Amino acid sequence: MMARQRGWRLAVRRDWRVIAPFALLALLAAAVVLPNLAPPLSLANPDRTSASGFRAAIAALPTKPLVLVAFDADFGSYPEITYATRSVIDDLVQEGGSLAVVSYSPEGRALASAELERLRRGGMGDDRLLDLGYRSGVEAALVQSVTSIVPKASSGPIAVRIRGGGGGIDAFDAALIVGGGDLGPRIWVEQVATRSPELPLLAIAPTFLWPELQPYLASGQLAGLLGTLRDGVAYGVDRADGADSEAAIDGPPSALAMLLGMLVAIGVLLEATGDRLTSWLGEQRLARRP
Amino acid sequence: MSGFFGNDLAGIAGTTIAALLTIAVWSYLAGERRLFAWVQHLLAGLATGYLVLISVREVLVPRLVEPLIDDPRGNLVLWPALLLVLVLTLARWLPRPVVAVPVALLIAGTAAFALGGAVVGTLLPQLAASLLPAGATSGGMLNALAGLVITALVVVAFLHGTRSGPIGAVAAGTGRWLLIGGLGGWLGFLFVSRLALLVERLRFILVDWLGLGR
Repeated sequence: MMARQRGWRLAVRRDWRVIAPFALLALLAAAVVLPNLAPPLSLANPDRTSASGFRAAIAALPTKPLVLVAFDADFGSYPEITYATRSVIDDLVQEGGSLAVVSYSPEGRALASAELERLRRGGMGDDRLLDLGYRSGVEAALVQSVTSIVPKASSGPIAVRIRGGGGGIDAFDAALIVGGGDLGPRIWVEQVATRSPELPLLAIAPTFLWPELQPYLASGQLAGLLGTLRDGVAYGVDRADGADSEAAIDGPPSALAMLLGMLVAIGVLLEATGDRLTSWLGEQRLARRP
Repeated sequence: MSGFFGNDLAGIAGTTIAALLTIAVWSYLAGERRLFAWVQHLLAGLATGYLVLISVREVLVPRLVEPLIDDPRGNLVLWPALLLVLVLTLARWLPRPVVAVPVALLIAGTAAFALGGAVVGTLLPQLAASLLPAGATSGGMLNALAGLVITALVVVAFLHGTRSGPIGAVAAGTGRWLLIGGLGGWLGFLFVSRLALLVERLRFILVDWLGLGR
């Protein structure tokens, strides 16, 4: 009887483990499609220090700034920072800024190409947007970019403006670093900030890089940092409150789906801990038996 | 909306293919190994093709071949680079002393940039930023003390095999747990990225592709 009960329990457990991923997908799908089930939920960080600091750094730029966008995100973490990245880029465009986009990683280049295409589809012309392409060589390429960043084949008003300013990173009013890959804001601080100390570095990075980057913000080596999903959403939400409808950006990830996913993860952790604890207690009991 | 595709025919085709491939990846959950393996091969093939394309179009031709053809004497630095490319692709028969020079230049340059940047850009400025000013608040001093103690304990945890008494063993154990706690926190941060990726993929399929919830 006991053996049958144990077998039944094991079967239920095995079936549940098969069904669980689909149940999770269904749960998250419902949360994504029905986002208004829990309107008070918000991903935006109530502490606006990072978001307002970033906005202040952008406001401190000269009018119609020339900004270098170093696009080195990675596929696995870009969805987390997409909303923040597009919000910041849209803000810079609204300010009348011109953007030059460069990548130092192949993965970042693929994402940069897609974003460039999106901006062009949105009506941004070559007078405001320049593709500087992919630069191989990691740190060495970054160092070379300090003095020479425009490919020979590049033309147009932005290329002329950069060449007029010396042809390197110093010609820009700021650099916006979209991180996540191997070559992120830290390498920029180490290789570029040491050679162009006057250039403000603004960084957007996924949450797992935040512990690494926060000290650079505290020491003033980064002028602004959106280093968590919640800070990025806070920046975008504040901006959307004040921006006109034309400038509205696609929304951030569903807050309800993120909450449900985290609760499920905590549940899995507790279940695993409970399993370990139960087996440990069983071993202790067996060890005490004469 | 992912924003990566337009509303024209190419955009609709791109959205459909991307959605079907995402579902093909998820088919692994239902035990469908062949479809999953096929998608993996597709990814590997596309990634290889993309890397070759980007290497040839954006690196080798405009930065190596063209400058050497235009001005071979003025671009002397590029000759070792060409030698390195040959070594890595075709000319494995070249004698070791010839091969060693460009490879050594590559490794030494990478190491020098990384190490120099880490010292000048991270270590020294961060040490300077960590120094407590003369009029530091008690909160600041407490933070500094906590940072110092945690750093010391983690360093002790790394001293594997070093003979130590009971206090050293407790310190090493505490440092190891702090290290594990840090790794756990970092994995928690990474989980946020991956969860956002999953939620975005679901939104892509349900909203962008199927048009639900628009």
